[in-house]
Amino acid sequence: MSGILDVLRRPDFFELLRQHVLLSVAALLIGIAIALPVALVVRNTALGAALAVNVGNIGRAVPSLAILALCQPFLGFGFDTALVALTALAIPPILINASTGLREVSTDVIDAARGMGHSGGQVLTRIQLPIAAPVVFAGIRTSAVQVVASATLATFIGGGGLGELIVEGTQLNDTAILLAGSFSVAVLAIITEVGFGALEKVFTPKGLKIAQKRGR
Amino acid sequence: MDSLALLLQDLSSIENPRLVEWDWISENFWEDIVPAIQGHIYLSFVSVAIALAISLPTGVLVSRYRKAYPPVTFVTGLLYSIPSLALFGILISIPGITIGPTPVIIALVAYSLLILIRNTVAGLDAVPAETIDAARGMGLTSSQILFKVELPLALPVIVAGIRIATVTIIGIATIGAYIAGGGLGKMIFDGINRGFPTMIITGAVLATALAIVADLLLLALERYLRPWARRRRT
Amino acid sequence: MKYRTKLIRAIPALALALLAACGNVGDSGGSGPSSEEGGGGPTITIGSKNFTEQYVLGELYAQALEANGFNVEKKLDLGSAALADKALQNGQIDMYPEYTGTSIVEIFKQEQTPGTPEATYQKAKELYAQREPADTMLTPAPFNNTYGIFVRKQVAEENDLKTLADLAEASPKLAFVLFSEFKTREDGYPNMQKNYPAFDFGDLVIVNSIGGPIYQGVLQGEGDAGVGFTTDSQLASDELVVMEDPKSIWPFYYPAPVVRSDVLEKSPKMEGVLNEVSASLDAETMRELNAQVDIEQEDPEDVASEYLEEKGIVD
Repeated sequence: MSGILDVLRRPDFFELLRQHVLLSVAALLIGIAIALPVALVVRNTALGAALAVNVGNIGRAVPSLAILALCQPFLGFGFDTALVALTALAIPPILINASTGLREVSTDVIDAARGMGHSGGQVLTRIQLPIAAPVVFAGIRTSAVQVVASATLATFIGGGGLGELIVEGTQLNDTAILLAGSFSVAVLAIITEVGFGALEKVFTPKGLKIAQKRGR
Repeated sequence: MDSLALLLQDLSSIENPRLVEWDWISENFWEDIVPAIQGHIYLSFVSVAIALAISLPTGVLVSRYRKAYPPVTFVTGLLYSIPSLALFGILISIPGITIGPTPVIIALVAYSLLILIRNTVAGLDAVPAETIDAARGMGLTSSQILFKVELPLALPVIVAGIRIATVTIIGIATIGAYIAGGGLGKMIFDGINRGFPTMIITGAVLATALAIVADLLLLALERYLRPWARRRRT
Repeated sequence: MKYRTKLIRAIPALALALLAACGNVGDSGGSGPSSEEGGGGPTITIGSKNFTEQYVLGELYAQALEANGFNVEKKLDLGSAALADKALQNGQIDMYPEYTGTSIVEIFKQEQTPGTPEATYQKAKELYAQREPADTMLTPAPFNNTYGIFVRKQVAEENDLKTLADLAEASPKLAFVLFSEFKTREDGYPNMQKNYPAFDFGDLVIVNSIGGPIYQGVLQGEGDAGVGFTTDSQLASDELVVMEDPKSIWPFYYPAPVVRSDVLEKSPKMEGVLNEVSASLDAETMRELNAQVDIEQEDPEDVASEYLEEKGIVD
């Protein structure tokens, strides 16, 4: 146990943690910046939305290691390559959820809104987005956890991150280093899961929350 | 030693390695590629089978005794959140567990428990109470109801869970190669180590293809089973 | 309905049946349960670490033993010195090729290595023989495979780098590509810093494998300096300059098979076979064999069998 704490006190531990968090946050933000606009664009066409969801599903099936490894021959080793790969991994869950979420807002509700005189843009901002928000956010949450987990693998293409400790511990057969790396990544992932779960509740409009409660 | 000199002239290949060397692929197809695919399928299949063997009974039990559901979800959810490489690391530091397929299978099983149990419970929940009453009325015993009514009706949802679990397992099994678990991940890692993109691309593409094929097959199965659960939209 | 219940009942049965059948498939890719003892001779399990030279050495020893009536099982992917040694200690493997210097520093955790190759070997041999369960380190192959710190040619020209001392001075503004083990092992980066305290690279780029990726990294600009092995063929490239080591800061690393003593006792014939292979190698040859794998992308197995046939060790 004390061995693990010693590892955590190493000067490079903080650097690795910083790299890991930086990679994850950047990949998630860029992923959102790419996936959301696409979902918005296709929201009103059945074909476009279906296409987006299918692309997303294929993306989800791709093993994370595969994407990271595939970027390496083209982009070399390093932080930037890992970032590109992780961004690619971040996109599918957000794309799927955002596309489906926006499409699923029932047409009755949209008709009612139009009937009340809302323009297309207003329908979007006042109706579709708020209703779709929980689903979109669930997608962001899934994506966040996946990115944090996959960032562990960045070490294999020279991207740094806490995975390096796990690899180091495995190679040196040093349980303290190994566990320090494993636990810190696990804790980071759990914090992400719980944190975004809380954020999800914040983003759920009050009306929906009440409806959800009643549904129970 | 002219051969060495000639080889050194080829050094340009390490600076700019060719992306796909088809000769290597055809030469090593049966020797390396097919066994890697087999190993991968073996890992995935065994893990899904074991996970199902654990999750189905657990799901049934937990749907009956709901108080147990939150703790079960908590534990399996916790396992699910731990990144794969980390879980592998924790497992191999347990004395008695050596690197090899065993810790990989343990981890893969652990990862799929959440989704499988959750879907089993959801599937069973979706069976309308009236149907169960009708079955009771017809004189069926509890276990007969379970096997002849509830599980068949819950099947589409359960298969949906199996589908997600399988795709996840195929993906994470690639990482298992790092702790000598074998499979297509080994080609990926070797390719990175040897600076040989052909191996990386072959391993990565095949692993992806495997996942997508499994996904499509199970999706077809899910759709085939769905008419029977028309009563409630899942 | 009946069909459906039969289907459900069939699934676990099917799963079990396939599980049993697949028990043999697990052997593929060098992983999975070990095979049963085959024909006449005893079964020897050979391990190796996971870089090119180790794969080649492992294959050489394995095939030579096979040609001499042994059943050989290969586990050529044990990740590192520590992992390979652990596997040796708990009987997962019976032998693997280890470097004399590495055993002293990395496995037996001693700070100092003797000043000559012969003394290094004797010390390592002694340490192996003294532990429980004992191992025997056989006669090493007659070449040293030590570390070579290299830089990209332009970097060397721009900063006038010829020796490790020069590199140490320039290090704060350079990036060093290395593998994880090297960063922490006593005879790795710490050794460089011990001898030249000025070593303090501005950036350490860690790639988790030895050889290929490090050379790629330096050549492609991810880093300016890198660490390689003197038997790596890539070191001979015009684009790279190896730093001179006037103080001889590295231990001697002569590769030798390390075999569990109990296994060796049961099959004394092994020693002769393995020694024959070791004796036939030298630095030039090793470099060539490594080049065939790293540059020609040939399979270590093929490289080894071609070599053994050429040398007449195997028909």
